[in-house]
Amino acid sequence: MKNAKSSSIFLKGLIFENPVFVLVLGTCPTLATTTTVVGALGMGVAAMLVLICSNTVISLLRKIIPETVRIPSYIVLIAGFVTIVQMLMQAFLPSIYELLGIYLPLITVNCIILGRAEMFANKNTVSKSVIDGIGMGLGFTVALLLIAVVREVLGQGTFAGLPIPFLKDNPIAFFAKTPGGFMVYGLLIAVTSALTNKKAPKKKSFGCASCPSASICDANKLREEA
Amino acid sequence: MKKYLKSVLVLTVISVTVAVLLSVVNQVTLPIIEERKNAASNEALLKVMPEGKNFTEITDLSSYTLPETVTKAYSEEGGGYVIELSTTGYASGLLIMCGVDSSGTVTGATCLSSNETNKAEVSYGENFKGLDSQKVSEVDTVANSTKTTTAYKNAILDAINSAKILKGESVDLRTEEEKLFDSFKEILPNAEGFEKEFISVKLFGVSAVYKATNNVGYIFMYRDQPVATNTLGEVLGDYAADVIDEVGKQAKKHLNTKLKDIDISGFSNLPTSVLSAQKTDESYVLNLRAAGFGILGDSYYGPSGEYIKIKVSLTKKGEIISCVTVSESESANYGAACKEPEFYNQFEGKTEKNYEQIDAISGATVTTTGYLKAIKSAFEAVKVLEGGQ
Repeated sequence: MKNAKSSSIFLKGLIFENPVFVLVLGTCPTLATTTTVVGALGMGVAAMLVLICSNTVISLLRKIIPETVRIPSYIVLIAGFVTIVQMLMQAFLPSIYELLGIYLPLITVNCIILGRAEMFANKNTVSKSVIDGIGMGLGFTVALLLIAVVREVLGQGTFAGLPIPFLKDNPIAFFAKTPGGFMVYGLLIAVTSALTNKKAPKKKSFGCASCPSASICDANKLREEA
Repeated sequence: MKKYLKSVLVLTVISVTVAVLLSVVNQVTLPIIEERKNAASNEALLKVMPEGKNFTEITDLSSYTLPETVTKAYSEEGGGYVIELSTTGYASGLLIMCGVDSSGTVTGATCLSSNETNKAEVSYGENFKGLDSQKVSEVDTVANSTKTTTAYKNAILDAINSAKILKGESVDLRTEEEKLFDSFKEILPNAEGFEKEFISVKLFGVSAVYKATNNVGYIFMYRDQPVATNTLGEVLGDYAADVIDEVGKQAKKHLNTKLKDIDISGFSNLPTSVLSAQKTDESYVLNLRAAGFGILGDSYYGPSGEYIKIKVSLTKKGEIISCVTVSESESANYGAACKEPEFYNQFEGKTEKNYEQIDAISGATVTTTGYLKAIKSAFEAVKVLEGGQ
């Protein structure tokens, strides 16, 4: 039972609720770092590391952090992990550090990380949160890689820096630029939607009850009193 | 109360724990990052001085009077120096590294990092290899990155001067203008600074007039010699009798200039570029507007919608006495150069026949063309005003 649930959590993150193609979170770094395969890999792995760490700790502390300081605590934790990843990368992988540039510290405000903390980690056990982190992180990385492969091969004629004979001399610059990125992104969302048609996530409820801030929201209190 | 206490406590504990964790990781990674930076730096040193051996950083730079742009200096075994400079082109943070050998020749120059827009600085350093300071001044700036490349050039000159200073030679670091104003201060000691004056009437033998910013007097450049006067135009100091005589006359003429407003609505043929006009007994002062890039430009970022405002004085025969750009809203790295004295001073003494023989602003054709059109209209305006129509 536990195994089945774990694999379903993992598969959700990877495919059925893929953060990039289904939940459409983290769009900004997606478009910015998918111009090269190496950049996409670096960003994906960095974000995954942060996601796993933040999911773990937030799940661990979920019963201890009071509602009133929930968001500040999460942000401090996430920012801390991002800074650690930043320092380690600057020391040990400087070329990728330079390649990612400002998008590395921007992982702090990547919607995927805070989103999973709010939607999953603060309501589930540590082991499940870890699996969710791995699943979502891999889903992010795989998604970035898919877009990057198209954009680098067609847009620059290289793959991870290695030139491809015919394409290197005839690159289609459109793909290397933002509009091309949007187009590839959109097409891949369509492909994913077609593939996961039968197993689409339940329609999200939009009422007050499912909102993460329900317990401290004044509007909700007024609604409940009414 | 207890509820808030728990919140504060939890957040504080989390913050402190994260801070401790960060400092631990920092301790581990900082030495590695520093070493990497130094290795990269050494690589850069060899790039600008390939024949260099054994670079040592000079740590007490404050004991030398170096140009402001110098941030670091390294001495090299063979008597050469590598200078790191930080200057401002279009944006600040233009970091340049320049190697100068023992004979004062540039061995190489490279840009370490920059925030410029057109990226001309990436390869501009190649132009300076093997040049001494004289030839460096003659290197052309790049047309669409005038500010960037001018700053780069000046940084290279600073590097050459710094190498001389570090060797123990004394170098005059003053700009041409500073040297000029210092020579003025010798004959007008109370002056704090100087500003070039706009001359409305043609002065015989006087090429320029400067006013002391603290109103203690004037400097008249009479036949290339600066002559000081007090605020009434009386010559101060010893000169030949004819010099005192003539300068005194010209000074009084300049200081007693009376400008009369002209009602331009009465002139139907007056060029539309003339915004207002004044006259003296022998000259006209016109305020013109020029349609430069601000009006005619069609770039993505849109023109500013502002005209260039020019003030020009001309004799009745149509010779320009003074010309100054009062205001402009052209593009910063391009047409804005029309606000520089080096540009508008070129029109002094020009007539309708030769007013186009000036150095245009490279990369700013629309601005220059608009400016020249306005100058041409000034000549036409004088004819109209003289004709009394």
